Amino acid sequence: MIGLIARRLLQLPLILLVIYTLTLTLAWAVPGDPLENPEGRRPPPEVVEAMKRQYNLDSFWSFYWSYLDNALGLRYARESLSGAAAWRTTDAAAHGEAPPARYIFDLGPSLQYEDWRVNEIIAGALPVSVTLGAAAILVALLVGVSAGVVGAVKPNSVADLSTLTLALVGISLPSFVIGTLLLLLFPVLLGVGKVASWGRLGDAILPALTLSLPFAAYIARLTRMGMIEHLGSDFIRTARAKGLPESRVLLKHALKNAFLPVLSYLGPATALAMTGSFVVEKVFNVPGMGQHFVNGVLNKDLFLIMGVVLIFATMLIVFNLVVDVLYRWVDPRIE
Amino acid sequence: MLKLVVPVLILLVALGASVLTDRPQPKADFSFINRGDINTLDLQRMSWMQDFRVARILFEGLVKNDVFTWDYTPKPGVAESWDVSADGITYTFHLRADAKWSNGVPVTSGHFVYAWRRAILPDTASDYFKLFQLVDGAQEFYEWRTAALAAFKRGDDAQELWRETERTFREQVGIRAIDDRTLEIRLVRPVPYFLDICAFSCAYPVYPPLVKQYETVDASTGRLKIESGWTKPPLLVSNGPFKLVQWRFKRDMRLERNEHYWNPTAISIDSINIPSVEDPNATVLAFSSGAVDWVSDVIPPYRGDMLAAKQAFYDEHAIEVATMRTEGLDQLEIDRRLPDDPRAHIHAIPAFGTYFYNFNCEPRLQDGRDNPFSDPRVRRAFAMALDKRRVAEQVRRLGEPVAGCLTPPGSIGGYVSPAGVPYDPPAARKLLADAGYSDPSRFITVEILFNKDSGHDLIAQAIAKDWQENLGVPVALVQREIKVFRNDLKKQNYMVSRAGWYGDYGDPTTFLELSRSTDGNNDRRYNNPEYDALLDAANAEVDPAKRLKILERAEKMIVERDLPMIPIFHYSQIYLFNAHRMSGISTHPRQEQNMYLVDMLDDPKGANRALAMPPRVRGSGRDLGGAVRQGTGGGTGQ
Repeated sequence: MIGLIARRLLQLPLILLVIYTLTLTLAWAVPGDPLENPEGRRPPPEVVEAMKRQYNLDSFWSFYWSYLDNALGLRYARESLSGAAAWRTTDAAAHGEAPPARYIFDLGPSLQYEDWRVNEIIAGALPVSVTLGAAAILVALLVGVSAGVVGAVKPNSVADLSTLTLALVGISLPSFVIGTLLLLLFPVLLGVGKVASWGRLGDAILPALTLSLPFAAYIARLTRMGMIEHLGSDFIRTARAKGLPESRVLLKHALKNAFLPVLSYLGPATALAMTGSFVVEKVFNVPGMGQHFVNGVLNKDLFLIMGVVLIFATMLIVFNLVVDVLYRWVDPRIE
Repeated sequence: MLKLVVPVLILLVALGASVLTDRPQPKADFSFINRGDINTLDLQRMSWMQDFRVARILFEGLVKNDVFTWDYTPKPGVAESWDVSADGITYTFHLRADAKWSNGVPVTSGHFVYAWRRAILPDTASDYFKLFQLVDGAQEFYEWRTAALAAFKRGDDAQELWRETERTFREQVGIRAIDDRTLEIRLVRPVPYFLDICAFSCAYPVYPPLVKQYETVDASTGRLKIESGWTKPPLLVSNGPFKLVQWRFKRDMRLERNEHYWNPTAISIDSINIPSVEDPNATVLAFSSGAVDWVSDVIPPYRGDMLAAKQAFYDEHAIEVATMRTEGLDQLEIDRRLPDDPRAHIHAIPAFGTYFYNFNCEPRLQDGRDNPFSDPRVRRAFAMALDKRRVAEQVRRLGEPVAGCLTPPGSIGGYVSPAGVPYDPPAARKLLADAGYSDPSRFITVEILFNKDSGHDLIAQAIAKDWQENLGVPVALVQREIKVFRNDLKKQNYMVSRAGWYGDYGDPTTFLELSRSTDGNNDRRYNNPEYDALLDAANAEVDPAKRLKILERAEKMIVERDLPMIPIFHYSQIYLFNAHRMSGISTHPRQEQNMYLVDMLDDPKGANRALAMPPRVRGSGRDLGGAVRQGTGGGTGQ
C-alpha cells in the first residue's frame, strides 16, 4: 500500500510536466493576442512589445521556462535567499503601505482580469467548486446507488424501467435546461431559495442537484449492472440458503461487491465535479472554477489556462490515488 | 458495509470545511447588478461603463457632473472652486481642505499630478491617453517616452531613463501643483468641455503612497510596470463617498460609507452590494425575486416583450401619461405618479450612443473592383432607401428613437443635432440613377458585413430587404465571428458594415472626430479636407456658442450630404428597478449614473425625496429611449 502511494506521488510531477507541456503548446496555438483588449483602443506597438517582454510572451520557450520557474517556487527561493525580497518588503513597510503579495508557487497574473493574480482567482473559486462538487457527488451517490439497487432487485419490473428511464433522462437532458426549470419552479414560482445567490448553505442545493444528475444516472446504471451480476452468483445463493434476511443479502453481500465499479468511477467523477461545470455555474451564477476553463481559452489568458488545468490535473491524479487506496482497503483481494 | 460509508464521510468533511470558511455578508442597503464583474479598479486603465460606474462611487475628481441637469453642470468635487484664464487655456483649481482619502490623509494637488502622469505615460497603456493630450506638452512627452522605450536595449540603465522621464514630465507637461491645495493645468488650446474631462473617472486621483509600492521599473525593458493587488480591499485607498470593503472575483463587491468623505449629507445609504451576475436571464430573476434593487443592463431576448407589457400598462392610463408627457415630466416621475405595477419596473432610457452602418469610402474595394460607395450620391441613395423606423420598431423593439444624426439629440446642452436624410425610396432611386446606375439590377452585389450575436443578423436582413425592394440592387449578407469582423473593419475589407459608438465626454466631437481623415477609428476611410477643416476651426474657436454652430455644420455635412455612415437608431439602456422604491437614477442621455445618489424611498435613511430631471417641453428634447461599451472600439458597440 505504501509502495503504491509512494510510486504514484513520484509519478505526479512527471505527469504534470507532460500535461503542462501539452496544454501550453495547445494554448499557445490558440489564435489571437492575449494582450489585446477585446474592444478597446490599441496601445502603441512599442508598449505592446514591452508588455510582451515583461510577461515573457515574446517566445514559447522563454514563457515555458519562466512559468515553471515561478510556479515551482524556484524564483521565490532564489529571491528569498539573495535577499531581494526582504529589501522590497522593508522598502514598502517604510512607506506605511502594504507591499505586493508574494506567492511561493506563483501562477502569474491574469492577462484578462488585470487586477487579479491566478493564485487569488483559484483561491476564491476552488472552495466554491469543492463545496458544489462534494454536495453533487453526495447526492449522486445516494440517489444513484438506491435507484440501482431498487432496479436490480426486480430487473425489468416497473420500478426498474422507471429508474432506467430517469437515468436516461438524467444523462441526456442538458443541465442548462434542468437548471433553468429548477430555478423557475423553486425560487420564482414557489418562492423557495434565491436566484443568483451564493454563500448560504441552501444556495448550493439546486445547483448541486442539477450537477449531480448525470453522475447519479451513471452511478445508477453501474450499481444496477453490478447488482444483477452478483445477485446471480453462487455466494448470494449460499447467503440466501443460510436463511439471511433479504435486506442483509442485498446490502451486505451484493452491494459491497457491486459498489466496486462505482468506487473506481468516483475518482474522476469527483475531480470533474469539484473543478466546476461551466453551464451549471452560469445558470445558477456560482462563482466557481468552471467559467475560468472556458473564459481562459476564449481570452487566450495563458496564465489562467495553465493555472486551472494544472489544478484540475493534480486533483484528478490525487483523487484517483485516494480511490485506489480505498479500493484495496474495501476489497483486500485486489493487489 | 461500514467501509462503504468512508467515501461519503470524506465528501461530507470536504463540504463542511468549505462551507464554514465562507460566511455571507449582511444585507446591504442597496444592491445592484453591474453586468458581471468589473475589469479593473485602476482608474487610469479603465475603459468600460461598468468600471466607471464603480469608480464614481469610490473616487471623486476635481469636479463632478450634476447628472440631474440637462447640461450636466460641472459641480465642485475635490476642487471647491476654479479660475479659468481669459484665453481659456489655463485652469487653476483650488482644492478643498476637508477632501480626504479613506485613511484620513488629505487629498493634495500632487496626487492629481501623479494620477494624470499615469494617464499620460505610454507605459500605462491607458485607453484614454488621447484625452489627456489636451494638456500642453503631453503629446510631445508621450512621443518622447515611446521613442525612448523603443530605443531601450537590454543592459541600458532603466533607472536612469526613469529619472529622466520624471524630469522631462515636470519640465514639459503643463500640469503642476503650485502648493498642496492649488493645481494648475495648462492646455494646448481652449477646450470648452475640459471640466467634463476632469469629471471623467480616468482623471480621478489615486493614492501615490500605495500605488508606488506596486510600480517597478522593469530592468529589461525600461518600462514602468505595475503589479496588481492595490485595487483590492483592505489595501485600496479611495477618496469618494464610499470605500471598498470586499471584492470577491466574479462574485461580489461590497462598498460602505467612507467616514472621511467631506460631504456625508449627500448620501442616503450606508452600504452597497454589487453581486456579479453574468447570465442575462438570472439578472431578471434576481430582480423579480427581490435579491437586487437595480439591474443596470437588461439583455435577455424577451426584454422587448417586457417593454411591450409596460406600454400596455401605459395604455391603461393613456390620458394621465399623455398629460404628464406634455408637461415634459421625467419618464421616471411619470412612473412614480402612476400606480405601482410590476410591469412598469422596466425602463428604456435614451443612451449616449448611436447604431449606424459604415460605408467603405475608398475608391477601390479590397479585391480591386471599383467601389460604387466612394460616390456620396450612392451612399445617400442607400441611406434614403433604408426604413429606420421599421428597424427600430419591429426588429429592435426597445423603444429606441430613430437616428438621423450621430450625436443623440438633447444630450449636449446648446447643441442642435441635424435632422439627417428622410426615408424616401423614389428620391433614392432617382439619386442612384443620377449617379450612373440606371439599371440597379446590374449594381454590384452589396455585401453587408456584421458579427454574429446581439441580433445584428436580424437588422441586416431588414436592411437588405429594404435595399433589394426599394433600390432593386442585389444584396448579400456576410456574417463573421467578432474578431474577424473587427479585423475586416480595420483593413477596409468590406463594403457596408454594422457599427456603433458611445460618446466619452459631453461634446459633439466625441462622435464627430470619428470621421476625421486621420482618426484611428475612421474605419470608413472617409477623407474630406473640408470636414477636417471644420473640426479644426471648431477647435480654434474660443466662443462656445459659435464653436457648437461650426460643429453642427460639420455633422450636417456627414449625415445629410456625404453619409460615410447611415445613423439608424440611438441606443437605449434598459434598466430594471421600481421607481416607487428607489431614486437616484438619471434619465439624461449621457447615462453616467452616480450610484451614491441612490435613496431607497422605503427606508428611514436619507431624505426619501425622489430626484428627477427638470421638466422639458416635448419637442426640444426626446421622448423615450442597450448596449454597454463606453466609447472605444469603433464599429463594435454592443
